[in-house]
Amino acid sequence: MMQRKARSKPARPALKAMWRANIDDHPIGLAWSPDGRNLAVAGVSGPITLFDGAQGEVRHKLSGHGLDTMAISWHRDSRLLASVGQDGKVRLWDAGTGTQRSEMAGGASWVERVAFSPVGDWLVSAAGRKLRLWNSSGELIREYPDANSTITDIKWRHDGKQFAISAYNGVVLYDPAEAEPLRRFEWQGSTLSLEWSPDGKYIATGDQDSTVHFWIVDTGKDLQMWGYETKVLELAWSFNGRYLATGGGTQVVIWDCSGKGPADTRPMMLEKHQHLIKHLQFQRQGMLLASGGNEGLLAIWRVKKKKPVLLADAMFRAPIASLAWSPDDRRIAVSDESGTLSIAAVQRM
Amino acid sequence: MDTVETRVPVTVLTGFLGSGKTTLLNRILTENHGKKIAVIENEFGEVGIDNDLVIGAEEEIFEMNNGCICCTVRGDLIRILGHLMKRRDKFDYIMVETTGMADPGPVAQTFYVDDDMQQKLHLDAIVTLVDAKHIWEHIDDSDEAKEQVAFADVILLNKIDLVAPEDLERLEARIKGMNSMAKIYRSRDAVVEMDKILNVGGFNLDRAMEIDPKFMEPEYPFEWSGIYRLNSGTYQWVMGEGPDPAMGAALLPLANTGLAAQEATLMDAVLTFSEDEQALEAGAMMRLGKGQYNQLVLNEKGETVFKFAIQEPGHYMLFTEHHPDEFDARLCGGESLPDPLETREYKPDHEHDEEVTSVGISIPGDLQLEKLNGWLSQLLRVHGLDIFRMKGVLSVQGWDERFVFQGVHMLFDGRPDRPWGNELRHNKMIFIGRNLDRAALENGFRECLAS
Repeated sequence: MMQRKARSKPARPALKAMWRANIDDHPIGLAWSPDGRNLAVAGVSGPITLFDGAQGEVRHKLSGHGLDTMAISWHRDSRLLASVGQDGKVRLWDAGTGTQRSEMAGGASWVERVAFSPVGDWLVSAAGRKLRLWNSSGELIREYPDANSTITDIKWRHDGKQFAISAYNGVVLYDPAEAEPLRRFEWQGSTLSLEWSPDGKYIATGDQDSTVHFWIVDTGKDLQMWGYETKVLELAWSFNGRYLATGGGTQVVIWDCSGKGPADTRPMMLEKHQHLIKHLQFQRQGMLLASGGNEGLLAIWRVKKKKPVLLADAMFRAPIASLAWSPDDRRIAVSDESGTLSIAAVQRM
Repeated sequence: MDTVETRVPVTVLTGFLGSGKTTLLNRILTENHGKKIAVIENEFGEVGIDNDLVIGAEEEIFEMNNGCICCTVRGDLIRILGHLMKRRDKFDYIMVETTGMADPGPVAQTFYVDDDMQQKLHLDAIVTLVDAKHIWEHIDDSDEAKEQVAFADVILLNKIDLVAPEDLERLEARIKGMNSMAKIYRSRDAVVEMDKILNVGGFNLDRAMEIDPKFMEPEYPFEWSGIYRLNSGTYQWVMGEGPDPAMGAALLPLANTGLAAQEATLMDAVLTFSEDEQALEAGAMMRLGKGQYNQLVLNEKGETVFKFAIQEPGHYMLFTEHHPDEFDARLCGGESLPDPLETREYKPDHEHDEEVTSVGISIPGDLQLEKLNGWLSQLLRVHGLDIFRMKGVLSVQGWDERFVFQGVHMLFDGRPDRPWGNELRHNKMIFIGRNLDRAALENGFRECLAS
């Protein structure tokens, strides 16, 4: 009887597996090169594998960091990949040849964050409280005064003209051309992650104390969204800046930021995950949202006003370790903690 | 129900500088125990030692804005342990060393407030090293030293070769007064069997209760009593210099030496010790009987003699605030040196340390979960700052399993463990903290019983 009902509606899109691989390690980072030709996967024990994005062949195996690799980031020209790790180093790799181009000191034993600018030629690294600005040749442009506490995240504004860091005590904004910070958004709490809205007007942060902050960049005012089950690390803006999807529990919580913003509104709550959601990502130009949870569930949602719908889901053997939409939004790369890497296309049937 | 522990155990090592933490850590790392251990220290750098790993951490404490005013956690631990648990080469054990002056609260709380931590790790025990010789320099006025003792599941009295046996006894009694739940071991050069400090299941309340039989005994305001047979006449109570400039004492008649009579006199003594004290200088006459609480003020130097007169020959029971040995105190007079027929020592009351104490509660019956929750949340809201730790094994109405719970300040975590089976259903609970009100805690807890 369900069949009849199903026939009367358009069929659900499905995830179609394109290729699979296993890196035999806990994948800690997953990043498509901006041209979509390479997919870099960093394992926690150090090595970084460069896969051919279309077919899945291994192009290069980079030695990465002797001790754990912690983060990776592509240069906008897709030729250079930056990585940081627990050997205290920032390394730049030539994606074409698979060789190391530069090796720089991050300033402390654990270099946890790295981010190439989406425009221009900047690279920012963070190791503990040390914040350093480089160019793509590996030259140190600037070392900033130490942050108040360990830097937990670095994110560039989409036009590449500013970047923001988060730490205990809030967010600090920088212009890469200036030594002094532009602004500080102070908050008596441990901020764990941040995301700029696509238009750069807002910065959302996820906090250890189970809250999400929504900073209005112009005025420095903030809204606090609370009621989360756990700390919030997972934040994703839709490309049009309308929706902010957040994790921090077993439900995907989506705030509508249009009009007067999310103040005094009730968010949309998406239920499907049985365990904590660990990853959220919106398409770059579309309204599909991917969520990955600790139970191993990958879910793809179409987010729209009033009622988002679940389009597809898939179960992995282990908790989802990372996920990334391809630059053309057609594919999604997902890895689980057992090292399985799966690249699937979302097909309209 | 998940009763099998798959999480990796964590031991937190605290203790003042020089107490022997580094020696103990090195011992743990070099001992052939077949375990793969990760150590988080307070120095920079990461060193692999055979199978093991030593990671340096910079203590980063921050406050949580979760409506819990005392909730501070170690951000660095959340990050480091989070990364550690992603590694393929899993560790069997994790040790976290804190700095000498650290308050153990933030470390312990870290394992309660963060879900990633709670999912993959469990706090096995807080082990506190105490420098048996130098602790006296800190224990009276250092909050950190008190907290390190109060938070501990296991206390290692180290460097015992540097102190006299009686000082060690005194130290142990003092520590028990503050934390009656901890298991206390003595060591030299931090030599201790690994199974005494690793995987001890520090939160195993059954074990804590078994260890100290005096645990549930009421506390008395005196430490010693002696039964004397005295003829009429005048006696001298001679005291030397001691740890305090004065000592409370009461002398009460005893009907006979039977147990019932002793108990009756004991109750009279408790009442007497709650009366206003009457200060007595050297040479003064001590007052006898119920309600006569003598405060014996000692001379600054040398011996001090107090007197009392016996009109009715018979049995008398002398109660002293401290053990007479601490003052070389003795009774003289009559025909000879009267020796007590019988003496008894009492679990030291917290008068030594009014601030930090343990309160143990043990009552039969079933608890009503809602009442318990209501009481605990109210209690923690008001006194959470002062309650360092709590542990309990509870019998909850309608539950076949024992409910085991533990907490640090305002955070707590409870779960059912094994079924009661044939065991008598019973509630045991312990609080360790500052300025605890035993009566209020007991009453509050009793109110939670299902009627």
